[in-house]
Amino acid sequence: MIDALDLSTLSDDQRDALVRLIVTLADSKRLMGIRYSDWTLGAPSIETGVSMASMTQDEWGHARLLYAMLKTLDIDPAPFEYERSGDKFASLSALDREPSDWAAVVALMVLADGALSTMLRSLAQGTLEQARRRVPKMLAEEQYHMSMGSAWYRRLADSGGESRRLLAVATENMLPGLIAWLGVDDAAARSMVAIGVLDSAEDRLALYRDEVREVVALVGWDIDTVLGTSEWDEVRGRAVGRPDEEACERARGDRNRALLVE
Amino acid sequence: MSGGRDLWSAPLGEVPRDRVKAIWKVLQEVLDPEIPISLPELGLIYDVAYEEGIARIDLTFTATACPCMDFIREDITDRLLSEHWIDRVELIEVWDPPWTSDRITVEGREKLKKMGVSA
Repeated sequence: MIDALDLSTLSDDQRDALVRLIVTLADSKRLMGIRYSDWTLGAPSIETGVSMASMTQDEWGHARLLYAMLKTLDIDPAPFEYERSGDKFASLSALDREPSDWAAVVALMVLADGALSTMLRSLAQGTLEQARRRVPKMLAEEQYHMSMGSAWYRRLADSGGESRRLLAVATENMLPGLIAWLGVDDAAARSMVAIGVLDSAEDRLALYRDEVREVVALVGWDIDTVLGTSEWDEVRGRAVGRPDEEACERARGDRNRALLVE
Repeated sequence: MSGGRDLWSAPLGEVPRDRVKAIWKVLQEVLDPEIPISLPELGLIYDVAYEEGIARIDLTFTATACPCMDFIREDITDRLLSEHWIDRVELIEVWDPPWTSDRITVEGREKLKKMGVSA
């Protein structure tokens, strides 16, 4: 049994690093839900669309639980959820733009959602008690996302032609940002490893590579040779860039602000 | 507010000797809004405690974004507060261990089976 981290002993830098980690996960989950929801009525079949709706529900549930983890640090999550401008969002760069086609959605399911699960798995096995109690349920729900994503990835890759080409393009566009995020080894990330909140960057990357190696090879990619993007934003803990403004407005719930119920 | 409230029995007339046991019994009347078996039968209630008028319930949900969360919280609270010996209800949301269908009780499974639902 791992000893639980005593949050009262954290230095300011460690505390900031933990907030960065929680927010990047929570923001990513919320944006992932938005990207999935857009394909509820645009998926290739009714059944797939229903799955997208269900996955959207899961992602927003995960976002809710992750933002709420800020309370353990005596931080009110509401300003993070409802008041930040888009340039403060810490979501994965893979989620910055609406997927242009179904192949890009499939790549999101396998590669981006898979990267989030790898990070969450590390968190669930670490010293952060709140994560150990909450994250296993998220990971249980995520199993279905990966199953569906992998099945579609193989289907599109095997079909060849334009489907395979679009999948390869989406994979190429996403992987550098995801590799950089999972393999982050800046001061904040190292402090999380030092206090046992996360596994090392090498371990996280190795797990992720094992997870996606076989599928990305189907479109000609060798995951072991993919390098992370060098344009890194240390403050937000993600690659340089930001989500499109419409997605940020939806994530914050701007239109329904007057109806907000907590 | 969800369905099933018409099945609630009248509040207990006297203060029960074993209040925790009484709370479990009362909760057997609170149905899941989507699946018509009780919350304990569905395996959503993880623990019950009682102290000086305060009923404390540890509960989970079938999914992290269960759309019935508010209904469930409201139903539990309203049913328990109808008992004159309960002044306040504290609901503690827990996710450990994660809910799976394995947590449905034998009684719950039998009821679902009669409704043609496999669990």
